Amino acid sequence: MQLDLSFIWTAFVGLLPAVPTTIRITVVSVLSGFAIGTFIALCRMYRIPVLHRAAAAYVTVIRGTPMLTHLLLIYVGLPLIVDGLAERFGWAFRSVQIPMIGFAYISFSITAGAYFSEIIRSGLQSVNKGQLEAAHAIGMTTPQALRRIVFPQAFAAALPNLSNSVIGMLHGSTLAFTVSVVDIFAQAEIVATTNWKFFEAYLAAALLFWGLTILIERLTALLEKKVTRYNRGGVA
Amino acid sequence: MIKLRGIAKSFGKQEVLKGIDLTVEKGEVVAILGPSGSGKTTLLRCINYLEKPNAGEISIDDFSVNCRKPAKKDIHLLRRKTAMVFQQYNLFRHKTALENVMEGLVVVKKLPKEEARRIGAELLEKVGLADKLDAYPSQLSGGQQQRVGIARALALNPEVILFDEPTSALDPELVGEVLAVIRKIAREGITMIIVTHEMGFAQDVANHIVFMEGGLVVEEGPPKVIFQAPKEERTRQFLARYTSDSAYSI
Ligand SMILES: Nc1ncnc2c1ncn2[C@@H]1O[C@H](COP(=O)(O)OP(=O)(O)OP(=O)(O)O)[C@@H](O)[C@H]1O
Ligand SMILES: [Mg+2]
Repeated sequence: MQLDLSFIWTAFVGLLPAVPTTIRITVVSVLSGFAIGTFIALCRMYRIPVLHRAAAAYVTVIRGTPMLTHLLLIYVGLPLIVDGLAERFGWAFRSVQIPMIGFAYISFSITAGAYFSEIIRSGLQSVNKGQLEAAHAIGMTTPQALRRIVFPQAFAAALPNLSNSVIGMLHGSTLAFTVSVVDIFAQAEIVATTNWKFFEAYLAAALLFWGLTILIERLTALLEKKVTRYNRGGVA
Repeated sequence: MIKLRGIAKSFGKQEVLKGIDLTVEKGEVVAILGPSGSGKTTLLRCINYLEKPNAGEISIDDFSVNCRKPAKKDIHLLRRKTAMVFQQYNLFRHKTALENVMEGLVVVKKLPKEEARRIGAELLEKVGLADKLDAYPSQLSGGQQQRVGIARALALNPEVILFDEPTSALDPELVGEVLAVIRKIAREGITMIIVTHEMGFAQDVANHIVFMEGGLVVEEGPPKVIFQAPKEERTRQFLARYTSDSAYSI
């Protein structure tokens, strides 16, 4: 096989239009996964009646099954539910109006929520309970204490694991091609088949993902420097 | 004036406080002594509701909380009227010394940042930390951290400050600086309840001594009486053990 070096560059340029799609899927799933994960972690830590059991079930089911199954189940199952409800309540909305990328957003958010909840939970548990007590003792309400005292420290502790999961979601977003979303990987398929140069196209995609990953690592390092400033130095 | 009536607390089957009555006059410094496990920490924690008493009443002037059915808003108000200095300092680790002191002023008292900063700097100066405003807890010695803890408690201008063995986590050479600060604010007429094993300190800083054992107040009275002529045999035994093996002086 002859490696066409210059085609790697051509393919690379050809992949760029798909970059925003990949980033959008990653950002949406990470942000909503973070919100879901925080909620789930709090339900479990504070043993909210009923909810904490549901939360625990959600985490083991989602973490116990591949991300691809979540996507396909949502892709097949969601339209059935939406159309069923629409018929019942006489909505004009039909499942065909859901854009393909919407399935990726929803299912990957569900996936990320389960993984993030465990990371957030261990971050919250790493914060000494004296911190919450001290906040209560100066008259803060629990929501104030969580927001201002506990979360920032939990976030700093969880950051390295969060960063790994963000990278995991970036790489996992390639699965979106199975529901016809044209992300970087799907675009590489297109470039490869139209030019009959698979190796070069996949190599270009790999380089692109590697670059994005390094970007995430750099951003994490910057953020880490900022949020863990208080941990450095020290007599005590 | 702070009044505790019949404060009771159990952890599961274990009855840790068996009905504590205590009255603390405004400006008074009360030292609580007693053997380990007698419920001293639990009592302090009940006073600002870090622990929920099973029964009893806590009053501060004409405000009072019935511990059997406390309203959420009363618990919050009680916490605003009391402040706690912890054995393990519990400074907010992600905030500087100044931010630790400002936090309650800004978030709870809703003061403008500038004013909070001014008050915070003043208080840190008072506890001898004018040069450490921007240091994080991890950059301070134990004694310095505890002094920040005291400044943080003072900032809220509470009706009473509760101290739980404020020096027992410190290296011996750092104890003096913290006791000196407590002594200084005691002289300013701030009401304080101090749990301590520093007998010499209790004797000369407190106006009133409470001896607890087994979840009950065994004996209370002025330091002179308790230290020189205790009525109860248990108090005598306890003090005898402590005064013989506590070598420290200030
Ligand atoms: N959260 C808790 N759960 C269960 N038991 C507890 C809890 N906190 C305290 N206790 C028990 O209550 C009793 C009184 O504890 P407390 O900490 O109030 O004693 P203390 O007088 O402060 O002792 P020390 O001088 O050792 O600090 C002890 O037997 C302790 O084991
Ligand atoms: Mg104690």
